[in-house]
Amino acid sequence: MSYTLVTALSDLREEEALKISEERLNSGENPQGILDDARSAMEIVGKRFEDSEYFIPDLVYSGEILQQITAMVKPKLKRNSQVERIGKIIIGTVAGDIHDIGKNIVTFMLDINGFEVHDLGIDVSEQKFVETIKETNINIVGLSGFLTLAFDSMKETIEAIKSAGLRDDVKIMIGGGQIDEEIKKYTGADSYGKDAMAAVSIAKAWLGGK
Amino acid sequence: MKSEKGTVSAYTIDFEPVGRRGKCHKSESLLACAHYVGIGINSICGGTGVCHSCKVQVLRGNVSRPTSKELEAFTPEELAQGWRLACQTYPLTDCKLSVPPESMTTLQRIQVEGKELRVEPELPVRAYQSAFTMPSLSNPKADTDRLIEELNHKYHIHCNTIEINVLRSLSLQLRSWDWRCQVIVRDDQVIGLNPWQTPLLGLAVDLGTTKVAAYLIDMNNGRTLAAKGIMNPQISLGEDIISRITHIIKSPDKSLKIRKLIVEGINDLINSLCIEVGANPEQIFDAVVVGNTAMHHLFVGLPVRQLALSPFVPAVSRALDVKAKDLGLCIASGSYVHLLPNVAGFVGSDHVAMLLATGVWQAKGPIVAIDIGTNTEVSLIRNGKITAVSCASGPAFEGGHIKDGMRAATGAIERLRIADNKIQYQTIDKAPPIGICGSGILDTLCQLFLSGVIDAGGRIREDCSRVRNYKRQREFVLVGEEDHKKQSDITITQRDVRELQLAKAAIRTGIQVLLEANNCTENQIREVIIAGAFGTYIDVASALIIGMLPSLPLDRFRQVGNAAGMGAKLALVSSTKRAEAQSLAARIKYIELGTAPNFNQTFIQTSYLGRYRIREGKREGVD
Repeated sequence: MSYTLVTALSDLREEEALKISEERLNSGENPQGILDDARSAMEIVGKRFEDSEYFIPDLVYSGEILQQITAMVKPKLKRNSQVERIGKIIIGTVAGDIHDIGKNIVTFMLDINGFEVHDLGIDVSEQKFVETIKETNINIVGLSGFLTLAFDSMKETIEAIKSAGLRDDVKIMIGGGQIDEEIKKYTGADSYGKDAMAAVSIAKAWLGGK
Repeated sequence: MKSEKGTVSAYTIDFEPVGRRGKCHKSESLLACAHYVGIGINSICGGTGVCHSCKVQVLRGNVSRPTSKELEAFTPEELAQGWRLACQTYPLTDCKLSVPPESMTTLQRIQVEGKELRVEPELPVRAYQSAFTMPSLSNPKADTDRLIEELNHKYHIHCNTIEINVLRSLSLQLRSWDWRCQVIVRDDQVIGLNPWQTPLLGLAVDLGTTKVAAYLIDMNNGRTLAAKGIMNPQISLGEDIISRITHIIKSPDKSLKIRKLIVEGINDLINSLCIEVGANPEQIFDAVVVGNTAMHHLFVGLPVRQLALSPFVPAVSRALDVKAKDLGLCIASGSYVHLLPNVAGFVGSDHVAMLLATGVWQAKGPIVAIDIGTNTEVSLIRNGKITAVSCASGPAFEGGHIKDGMRAATGAIERLRIADNKIQYQTIDKAPPIGICGSGILDTLCQLFLSGVIDAGGRIREDCSRVRNYKRQREFVLVGEEDHKKQSDITITQRDVRELQLAKAAIRTGIQVLLEANNCTENQIREVIIAGAFGTYIDVASALIIGMLPSLPLDRFRQVGNAAGMGAKLALVSSTKRAEAQSLAARIKYIELGTAPNFNQTFIQTSYLGRYRIREGKREGVD
């Protein structure tokens, strides 16, 4: 069976994926095209994860393959076309919550989809979010929380952003656990995502809208 | 309540090893009696003596002569040893029976079973039999003074106070009992009077999120007179603890309601336990309650909000003694309820009780003790040091979040094997399958992995028989239309497999984090104790094959049943055990799993199926 880079990477065939990348690179192809294919493959990986076909270790594995491809391609990229970043986002698990597996998956998916992610970690205080927004001027924020009571922390964080006079400058999405429209309203967020791929589409839509 | 008059022609039947007693009418078979008191003895043929599945052994007492059916079923030697068919045998006196495991149905799945442990009673509450001198014009001393003085004199004790409710009824009771009674004393206080020569009863309760088990104990010998379990009535306000806590936070007026639900549930249990042995709840003079920290708090009426948020702090962790009346429990009005200590927000007194009952806390170790549930607590004991974690294993093993999952009840698939491409399964009560419960789910995952339908990463392969695509995901058909025509198929979906992987990875990660914190390797583990209802019924071999538990020889695993309930019983009859529980709880070092150094890495590795050990964050296969 012959693979393309898209099928090889999305089927997690490390050897084939690396071999095809190397061959294409050696044939003098524009490295950017290889990276674009890798990104398409990662979208398929994300979709399969969403459908439960892939699991957390598969995501990690796909990331490892991608990293090797990127490392191989990067030196060949022209200077002015560094691995391009389409946007920036601040993300963190809100105060009182320490779950980060879901948040890390979101970070990962955002990263491979071209976002520069400032991950603040777990149990992140309201002040920390506010300070980071001020320091970086990043205007997309993702609040993660798995505990039901994290919804209160999300609400408090968003209120803190408001009192700091920054609410109109940022778009805020929430995710993790059993979040729905009701909770979005309760916390005062702009949007919510059910899974990591949703976070990517929301963030992308916000980029387009600006 | 049954009238006492109706029991003249009834005998007391003692069922071992479950340790339950019930009244049996002359005209009722032993089988009917067993079913009446709720002991599940097989009766596949419906009590006609044909199937021989209700074999019991009469240890003491006289019963009817063997029927022709029984002469067929047993050899003369067996008959001489007391072996009988419960459906063919009628009691002629009080009897003591032994019910072998093969005769038990799996009906009683609300975890009340547990080994009967022997402990020298050292009662925190004592009953003193006393005959008092009657008052007269020459000796018109106050009733209370008479009682205390004569009691202290006779038994060389130092009672000095009398509980107010006892004071209120004492004069009447002494006279109606002709000045002969038992005086119940706790910490130099008279907390009750009991009729002459009635047993002193105690109550042990294990409060689980899903199930509540209660035991009625004869305090003088520590024996369990009756045991019963119910589903936690709070389930109506949320299946899991967090949703109940959220419920209270959203509407604080509900906290009273949620407390009332559990108190009423326990009171109902007390009543039915007492009816079973013909006792009065007023004869219960002491109680011990264990449970997870949240249930403990919900029962006592303590604030719970802080339990659900990092850093997950209990309101109280030390042991408590609270008046039964203040908690709303309908037992003797002067009695107290002892609550064993908690350890952390997600490691409660039930885990302490389990460590107490199994005695492992004093072992050299390393020993791993696990209580599997929606929340799984794991302790590692090594050289007197105890380290504990709590793992969010989720409801998958209770059948929750699984498409065709169900609790362990009639019709649930509880065992499953795949051999020669054929699926063989066993359901609870041998009823037609309607779903699959925890032990069956575990078996299924193991069998699908062994037969290659699921790969080590947990993915269902496309090209296998019985695998189909349904609603955007793959699923494996366990029971299809050809197997049972009436209902819809029973399947295991790809999402189900993922839920199970998350659940089992949480448990395995907990064990691994404890090992690393203690610089231990898996091979050094001498014993793995598995407690709890689910843990009792699982096939340990299946759990090893899917990598839920460390890959060790099977003889290092011990399934101990409801050890939390056993621990509660021990603490009920022994002051020393109560003190031990307090000191062992204080020795437990709690580790927050999410903050352990290699948590994420380990979690990802342990989501794989198969036998392996984890070393420096990597998986190494084991044969």
